[in-house]
Amino acid sequence: MYLIVVSVNIGIFILLALSLNIITGYAGQAALGHAAFFGIGAYTSAIMTSNYGFSFWISLPVAFMVSGIVGIGLGLISIRMKDDFLAITTIGVNFVIVALFQYSSFFGASLGMTVKKPMFFGMRMNTSGYLILITIIIIITCYFIHKMNKSWFGLALSSIRNDEMVASSLGIDVNKYKILAFSLGTAIAGIAGAVYAHHMTFIYSSDFAFTVSIGILSMVVIGGIGTIRGPILGAILLGAAPELFRFFADYRMIVYGGLLVLMMRFQPQGIFGNDSFITRNFIQAYKNIFKKKVGDIIE
Amino acid sequence: MLLQQLVNGIMIGSVYALTAMGATLIYGILRILDIANAAAYAVGAYLGWYIYTLTNNLFLAFFLAMILTGLIGVLVEKYIYLPIISKPNVITIVPLITSVGLFTLTGDLLRLIAGPNVKSLGVKLRIGVLQIGNLRINPEWIFIIILTALLFSILWFILNKTKLGLAWRATASDSEIAQAMGVNINVSMALSYILGYGFAASAGIMVGLLYNSIYPTMGDIPSYKMLAIIVLGGLGNPVGTVLAGLLIGLSETLVAAYIGSIMPRDVIAFLVLIIVLLVKPSGLISKKNA
Amino acid sequence: MNEVLRIEGLKMYFGGLKAIDGLDISLYREETLGVIGPNGAGKTTLFNVICGVLKPTEGKIFLNGEEVQGKSSFEMARKGVARTFQISKPLRDISILDNVVASLGINEYTGFKSLFKKSHSKETVDKAMMILRRTGLEDFKDKKAGEVSLGYLRRLEIARALAINPLLIMLDEPCAGLSNFAINEVIELIMQLKEEGKTIVLIEHNLPISMKVCDRIVVLNYGQKIAEGTPKEIQSNQEVIEAYLGEDDDFA
Repeated sequence: MYLIVVSVNIGIFILLALSLNIITGYAGQAALGHAAFFGIGAYTSAIMTSNYGFSFWISLPVAFMVSGIVGIGLGLISIRMKDDFLAITTIGVNFVIVALFQYSSFFGASLGMTVKKPMFFGMRMNTSGYLILITIIIIITCYFIHKMNKSWFGLALSSIRNDEMVASSLGIDVNKYKILAFSLGTAIAGIAGAVYAHHMTFIYSSDFAFTVSIGILSMVVIGGIGTIRGPILGAILLGAAPELFRFFADYRMIVYGGLLVLMMRFQPQGIFGNDSFITRNFIQAYKNIFKKKVGDIIE
Repeated sequence: MLLQQLVNGIMIGSVYALTAMGATLIYGILRILDIANAAAYAVGAYLGWYIYTLTNNLFLAFFLAMILTGLIGVLVEKYIYLPIISKPNVITIVPLITSVGLFTLTGDLLRLIAGPNVKSLGVKLRIGVLQIGNLRINPEWIFIIILTALLFSILWFILNKTKLGLAWRATASDSEIAQAMGVNINVSMALSYILGYGFAASAGIMVGLLYNSIYPTMGDIPSYKMLAIIVLGGLGNPVGTVLAGLLIGLSETLVAAYIGSIMPRDVIAFLVLIIVLLVKPSGLISKKNA
Repeated sequence: MNEVLRIEGLKMYFGGLKAIDGLDISLYREETLGVIGPNGAGKTTLFNVICGVLKPTEGKIFLNGEEVQGKSSFEMARKGVARTFQISKPLRDISILDNVVASLGINEYTGFKSLFKKSHSKETVDKAMMILRRTGLEDFKDKKAGEVSLGYLRRLEIARALAINPLLIMLDEPCAGLSNFAINEVIELIMQLKEEGKTIVLIEHNLPISMKVCDRIVVLNYGQKIAEGTPKEIQSNQEVIEAYLGEDDDFA
C-alpha cells in the first residue's frame, strides 16, 4: 500500500520532469518556476471540484488548459527576455504565483484546500486507481514526446535551442514555437497538479514553491536533459531517494546537495543522457552482444 | 513619517545591495548565477559569530570572517566552478544547478555542525541613538551604514584605482580580448570569488547583528532576493546592483507602510523585477550585448 | 529582364549612425552580384535588412516585384531568401544530416500541426543526402555539427542555403578565416551554383574572390554606393581604389 503511494508520487514527478524537459531540454528555454504550473493545475482542479462541484474528469482537462494558457504568458515573456534574465524571471513568476495562493482567500489562503477523491463508475478512486491513471498519462505523454522528436515540430525546437537566428533563417517562426513549447510543457504540468491534488486530498501553497521547481529541474538534468529516458529515470532516482535515505534522514539534504554538485562537476550531461558514462557503456555492451550499429539505439 | 520610511528603505536597500554585490562580481566575470553566494552569507555569519565569541572583538570577527569566507570562495571557484565552465558545450543551467546543490549542502552542513537553533551575537554597541526631529536611527544601523559605505568605497577603489581592478574590468567587458592583451583572467576570477564571498559574509554578519540572530537557513531568503537584485541591476554591473538594492529596499518599505501586507514582503522584489524587465528587458543599467 | 530583387532608397540608421544612407540596387535572375567595400561600409547591415533581421528606417525592397521590407526573417526565408552567416552558425548539437533536413523543412514549420508530420521521411532524407553529396559532406552526415572543422561548416552553411531551394542565395563572406585550399573549394562550389543558374548575392572582403566570381559588383562606402559595374570596370575605378587605399592607410 505504502509502496503504491510512493509510486504515485514518483509518477507525478516523472510527468513534471517530462514536461519541463519539453521547455528546457528540447526548446532550450530556461524555466526555473515549473512548480508554479504544477500548482495552477492543482488549484484549478481543487477549486472546480470543491467549490463548484464539477467532476474530476472534467476538471482534469480544464487544469491542462488553464496551466497551458498561463504558460502562454510565460512564452510571451520568453520572447522578450533571454537566458539568465528569463531564468530569474521564471523564478519570480514562481514566487508571485505561490504568494497569490498563500494570500488570496479564493485559494484557501494560509489554510490550504481540501480536495475530494474522485468517483470512477460509482466507486471512490483508491490509490491503485491513481497509479493506473498516472501511468496512462505518462505513457500518452511519452508517446507524444516521441512523436514530437520525429516531427518537424521537434526539429524546429532543436533549431531554436541551438541558435534562434539560424532557426528563423530556416523559415521557423521562433516566437510561435517558443510559445507552443511553453504552453505544452506547462499544460502537462497542470495535469500532474490536478492528479496530485486529488491524490493528496489536501494542497497548500508551499507544495508548489521554488524549491520544488529546483527539484524537478534536478531530475531532468541528473537523469539526462533532452532525452525521454533521462527525466523518467531521474525522477525515479530522486523521487525514491528520500525513501532510500530514510535511515539516515539527518544527512539527506547533504547527500542530495552533494550529489547535485558531484554530478554537475563530473557528469553534466546526466547519468542517462547522450554521451554519458552509463549510456556509452550500455551501448558498448549492447554492441558487443548483438553486434549492432550504435546509431540505431541512440535515437 | 515618510522621511523615516524613506530612510528605513534606503538602509535596508543598502544591506540588500551589499548582499547582492558578491553575486554581481561573480556574474560579471564568470557569467554564473551563483545562488551559493547566499551560503557564503550564512557561513560568514557563523564564522563571525564564532570568532566573536572567542575574541570578543567585533571588528576582528568581522574582517577575519570576511577573509576566511573569501578564501573558501577561491577554493570553490578553483575546484568546482572553473572545471565545470571550462568544459566545452556546457548547458547554461549546469553551473546554476551546481550552485543550488552547493547551497543546499552548505545550509545543512551548518545545521549539523552548529545545531539547528538560533545563535545570538549579543553585541552591545556603545553608539547612541541618532535622533533628528522625528527621524530615529538605531546604533546597529549606524554601524551598518558606516561599514557598508566603507566596504563600497574599498570596492570602488579596488575596481577603479588598482591594476587588479583594471584587469577585472577588462575581463568583465570581454574576457577573450583581455586575455589577448595579457590579462591573467584566472586572477580576475579568483578576485571575483574573494570579493564576492567576502562581501556576502559581511552582509551575513551585519544582518545577524541587526536581528541578533544567526541560524542555518538564514541564507534562504537572500538567496533568491539577491538574484532578483542582480538581474534588476543589469547582471554583473556593480553600480546597477546598488541602485537595484535601493529600489527594492524602498519599494518593500513603502509598500509595507502605505499599502499594507497584501503580499509577503519578499515577493515584492520579484514583482518589481518582472515589471521593470517587461519594460526594459536588460535591467536598469545594461551593458551592451550582455 | 527578370528582376529578382530591387532595393529603392534604402536607409538604415542606428541612432545617429547612418549605416545605410540611400541605396538603390537591382539584381536579375541568374546573376551573381558582389557587394564590396571597406570595413564599416554597411555590407552586413545591408544583408541583415534584406534577410529581415533588421527593419529598414526608410526605403523599399521588392522581391520578384512584391514589396517585402519590414518582414521578419522567417518570412523572408519562406519567400525564398536563403542566407549564410559570416561567423558559421551550425545547429551544434544535432547531426550534419539533421542540419540539412531542418532546412528542407522550410515550408513545414506550420506551428502545432507540424507535430504530426514526420520530418525524416525517406524522400526528405534522400534529398538531404543529395545536397550533402554535392557539398562534399556525405562522409560526415552522422557527425554533430559542433564537431567538424570550420571548412566543413562553411560548406554546411551553403548546403543549408541550397536545401531551402531559394530564389536568392545570400553569401556573407563565405571564405573568411579559411585556408587557401579551403577557399578554392568554396569558390568552386559557388561557381557550380552559378552554372546551375542560381541568383547570388556575395559579400566578400577579399577582392580577388569577388572579381573572380561575380558578374557585377556594387561598391559601398559609408552606407552609399560609390561605384557599380563589371569586375573589370571596378578594378579601374579611381574612387574605389581610393576607398580601399584609404583603409590601408588606417592599417599602416
